[in-house]
Amino acid sequence: MCVTLFVVSAGVTPGLMSRGNLVNVLSVAAPLLIVALGQMLVMISGGIDLSITATLAMASVCGSWLISDDGGWLAGAPWAALAACFIMPVVGACIGLGNGVCVAYLRMPPFIATLTSMMFLYGIANWATHSKNIGSLPESFIWLGTRPFAIAALALVLAAAAAFFLASTKYGRWLYALGQREQTALVSGVPVRVVQCGAYFLAGFMAGTAAIIYTAQLETGSPVLGKNLLLDVIGAVVIGGTSLFGGKGKVSWTLGGVLFIALLDNVLNLQNLSHFAVGMCKGVMILFAALLDSLRHRWSVE
Amino acid sequence: MIMTKAPSAIGLAQSPFTVLSSCLCSLLLGIFCGCGGMNAGGGGAAATSSKPVIGVAFETLQTEFWVAGFAAIKAECARRGYDVVEVIADGDANRQLQQVKNLITRGVDGIILVPKDTKTCGPMIRAANEANIPIVLFNRPASIPALKTVAVVADNFTLSKQTGEYLIQQAKSLVKPVKTMVLLGDLADSNAIQRRDGFEEAVKEANKSGAEIEIVARIPTEWNQEKAQAGVVNALQATPDIQLIFTSSDFLLPSIVSALQAAGKYHPAGKPGHLLLGGFDGDATAYQMLKDGYLDATGVQDVYFEAQQCVQAIADLRAGKKVDGIIPDPGFVIQQQNLDERKAQMWGAQITAK
Repeated sequence: MCVTLFVVSAGVTPGLMSRGNLVNVLSVAAPLLIVALGQMLVMISGGIDLSITATLAMASVCGSWLISDDGGWLAGAPWAALAACFIMPVVGACIGLGNGVCVAYLRMPPFIATLTSMMFLYGIANWATHSKNIGSLPESFIWLGTRPFAIAALALVLAAAAAFFLASTKYGRWLYALGQREQTALVSGVPVRVVQCGAYFLAGFMAGTAAIIYTAQLETGSPVLGKNLLLDVIGAVVIGGTSLFGGKGKVSWTLGGVLFIALLDNVLNLQNLSHFAVGMCKGVMILFAALLDSLRHRWSVE
Repeated sequence: MIMTKAPSAIGLAQSPFTVLSSCLCSLLLGIFCGCGGMNAGGGGAAATSSKPVIGVAFETLQTEFWVAGFAAIKAECARRGYDVVEVIADGDANRQLQQVKNLITRGVDGIILVPKDTKTCGPMIRAANEANIPIVLFNRPASIPALKTVAVVADNFTLSKQTGEYLIQQAKSLVKPVKTMVLLGDLADSNAIQRRDGFEEAVKEANKSGAEIEIVARIPTEWNQEKAQAGVVNALQATPDIQLIFTSSDFLLPSIVSALQAAGKYHPAGKPGHLLLGGFDGDATAYQMLKDGYLDATGVQDVYFEAQQCVQAIADLRAGKKVDGIIPDPGFVIQQQNLDERKAQMWGAQITAK
């Protein structure tokens, strides 16, 4: 699908093939892939994580607050950048764990559990920062944001890890089983609660890791980071073919979906389409993918 | 059993859909691209035409001010025979960074940027600097001194101070102390800070000469109409005898009006119970309210002057001339007395006229 898009649009879009532009696409796609991988794991388990972009924002704020030269605790410390790279995924993972507990142990519907945590997290992030961005981050941290190939490498390593995890570990098989039919999985001896909780935990961790990249790219920690990204993330996963009904999904599909969304965005931008047309076009594509997914689901059930 | 069966079943189910969906997606895309090409006069303008191309990157088009600014810049570019490529970030700084990078990749000849705030534009300006593309900030300056940029900004501080002075002058006949409410903008936006400081400076100076202006409520709106309305309602509840309201932007006026109406306090100047009301920007609502006598004064940013200066700065930078880092727009205070005389320069009045 990506190849088709690329070939079709390359003909009508000047500058698409240029090296600079492809690097731009790469620097959009890499962090998006990391977030989308986390979302994919949750969706395979049959859930959805709507708080994933709020997790990004929260991790970004916590990390950059710690290391900002404007009065951060670790301002000026030589290992400040490393500390931020550590703390952001940890914050993300903690948030994910919270979501996981709500869904798996408190039996809350994923939609409402993560929707409320999204509101809560954006609320805290805005309250704590007074809606201000946190600037003056150390050079050593910003360095990563200017290295698209390093970012892409990081994203690919995480993707490979996720692929290995899904295909070759017991947990991966449990995750598919859980998403296909929870009752059956339970009867077959899958520790359903732990597996479900773990999916949200990993999604939070991935979002926290992506927060490092987004923060470094923007050179600021932002309490509204990713506020418009949620549709891109879910769209990429769904376009990739991961089922909204759970139990289906692969890393390679998500990679395709992410590349598709990133390319689509880029092509529409290069086409000089108005901002509203870009939104409409993306919306139609994602709707279309979701429609295919529900048709496929119905046919496979029949 | 489920576990082993799952992957292969998925793989088979996927393939016909992939083919089908890719065909349909490309079709859809083709249609959209076709439309885009027609609307925009060919996306290839940047690469093929000999006219200079200016990239215009706005953070939002959600308020009339930005829409008017956007239109003014496009009109100015058209007047000079420049092509325009437009991108809107919808309030998302990260998207804006990608959009600016895209503009650079396309090789535009200059960029006019409205950043989300004074900090996030750093990487965008740096990227433009590295590519040697002149970048001019419209209405919002950057706070990163190391980068090469030009900002055309209204003199927010002086203009709010002048508006405040006019309001305080009008408040002389009122019962003292004059209880006052101020609606603040997003304090990450230097314009919002300067407007607040300008108004408060006017209050401070007036109080030295015994004006007895007492600011009883400072409402943090974060440039959000709902927050503004809730804040005004609460403040009127807490202090029913508020006599003067200053808002850091006219786009919050509808929120104030509905809160005042609900409290039965919305009366035109000259009628008993009129609250002194002042604003900033000079939008269409403000013009209408001035005409009807509900608004006493507003500080007008001269959008046409700012747009013209932005494009001029790009032209000068391209020609290798030296341009000041900040080009101030003096603006003017418009009020009941000078309304007819100055409305031609008030962008809100021009929108209404159209």
